[in-house]
Amino acid sequence: MKVLVFIKEVADTEARIIISSDQKELEIENKYTVNFFDEFAVEEAIRIKESLKDVEIAVCTFAPPRAVEALRTTIAMGADRAFLIDSRNHESDDPLIVSRILAGFAVKEGFDLILCGRQAMDDESANVGPMIAEFLKIPHVNQVTRLQVSGTGTAEVQSEIEGGKKVSEVLLPALLTTQKGLNEPRVPLITGVMKAMKTEIAVLDPATIEIPFGSIDRETSKIAVLSYELPDKRPSVSIIEGASPEEKVTGLVRALKEEAKAL
Amino acid sequence: MTGDVFVFVECKDSVPRKASLELLSVGRRVASQFSSGLFAVVVGSGVKDAAEMVSGYADTTLLVDNESLADYGWDTYGSVLEGVLKKYEPMFLFGTSSVTGKDLFPRIAVRLQAAMISDAVGLDLEGKGIKIKKPLFGGKVISWLAPKADSMVIVTFRPNSFTVGNAGEKGRIVEEHFTAETNRGIKPISFEKTGSKKVDLQEADFIICGGRGMKSAEHFAMLDEIADLMGGRTGASRTVVDSKWREYDDQIGKSGKTVSPKLYIGCGLSGALHHIMGMDTSRVIVAINKDPNAPIFQYADYGIVDDLFAVLPALKDELKKTREDT
Repeated sequence: MKVLVFIKEVADTEARIIISSDQKELEIENKYTVNFFDEFAVEEAIRIKESLKDVEIAVCTFAPPRAVEALRTTIAMGADRAFLIDSRNHESDDPLIVSRILAGFAVKEGFDLILCGRQAMDDESANVGPMIAEFLKIPHVNQVTRLQVSGTGTAEVQSEIEGGKKVSEVLLPALLTTQKGLNEPRVPLITGVMKAMKTEIAVLDPATIEIPFGSIDRETSKIAVLSYELPDKRPSVSIIEGASPEEKVTGLVRALKEEAKAL
Repeated sequence: MTGDVFVFVECKDSVPRKASLELLSVGRRVASQFSSGLFAVVVGSGVKDAAEMVSGYADTTLLVDNESLADYGWDTYGSVLEGVLKKYEPMFLFGTSSVTGKDLFPRIAVRLQAAMISDAVGLDLEGKGIKIKKPLFGGKVISWLAPKADSMVIVTFRPNSFTVGNAGEKGRIVEEHFTAETNRGIKPISFEKTGSKKVDLQEADFIICGGRGMKSAEHFAMLDEIADLMGGRTGASRTVVDSKWREYDDQIGKSGKTVSPKLYIGCGLSGALHHIMGMDTSRVIVAINKDPNAPIFQYADYGIVDDLFAVLPALKDELKKTREDT
């Protein structure tokens, strides 16, 4: 059985981000990490490998070469192979193009199950998972919180949907997006880290992947990024003073009513 | 392709969600700009009343009502929505970036090869164009995007991005018949309803959120009372959820939910960056903390520096008074 995991490397919460003076570019401090929700996908793939026979895990990302480090982390955790599809000179703001490329890779590599995080922390778009599934004409389940893969081509999946939790039987091949609660991602062991250091990570040019899902040329992008700006700054906090907690609360509620019109 | 603006109406217990009414309200502005029609799309089983309710917001309400649409699925709802969109060829489809929206719209975008912009918080109309406002990196940066190609544009917005306008004269309701196709790859086994909470956290106008300073799960009852009083919801920080004082469903922050209520009150919260990223688009932020140096005060509009266990009972009484006055 072959499990494909798609991950994204995202800027760390603490990373400084600077907007260029023409507002067209972002300069991101070199602090990156594996997307929080993707870690559950990697961990779950490893758990499937531990519980079933003959499971192979391939991890893939569409990113600039620096993301090799994120892929190494997944090898250290226990993934077998990793691929970086070089995103330089390619459009990465249009989810349709990114999904075409990743779906093309999935066809080339082959798979029984695809796992990825429910959304990326940087843009919170949550598009690429279901889009890949649609290109591949396979079912998807979003926000998976429990997974039991059988050896017979099906999986029992618990997922979060509007208003509750749903359990379904899913016929493989399928794509599942992972949600917090599915598992506790492991910290790589030193032996894993040693292995990851020695593992060669393939860097692929998107042009070498046959993509039967439409064009990936930049010109066909349907999205234009016009500009970046800083969010409006809030005026500095007004601390409500008073002789007692009750007095402070009275002052607060008055301000919320009369000044902020929030009540 | 027409220049029409479509809004996919999400229902909860057969009642249109507030977030969908927000989209119809802003959709009106967009439709006027392009001198085109505003359509509401209501899909489900037993949703005729819902269609009636939204018809005052749209020129035309398209209703697809049949039993096979009783439970949401991207396969069934997707096939129906695809049919509607292919028949009418609108320019815009607006939806909510909810759990359902994130499940449904990406597949639709592929099927219609539509431009897809997700999780937006605003829009700007100028001349013949439209600009979409989308926060990145948990709100550290705002990006402005525009659809480029001459294809349909799907935009999903966070709840509370726009205010709900007044309903106007009722538009016409047109019943459409599309068969719901079921994907054979997914067999439902069971459904467990979680959280009987009336208000969705992301849709709530009022959120009172507790951090580690709440000290125990039991103390959250005070926040729940205030949230109920205000018709809002209680939220929680990551440490609180990790300590199992509250469910993950309540978690606000980068690894939980992103919210933007009209009024957010943080209680005993230090204001860790990953929490701030989940709430800093709230309209008014209040912080209650006994530590005047807590980072949350840098992000708040109003603050009370005091023991929250002394503040909360007084806050409940004061809010109760304002509710009774109105």
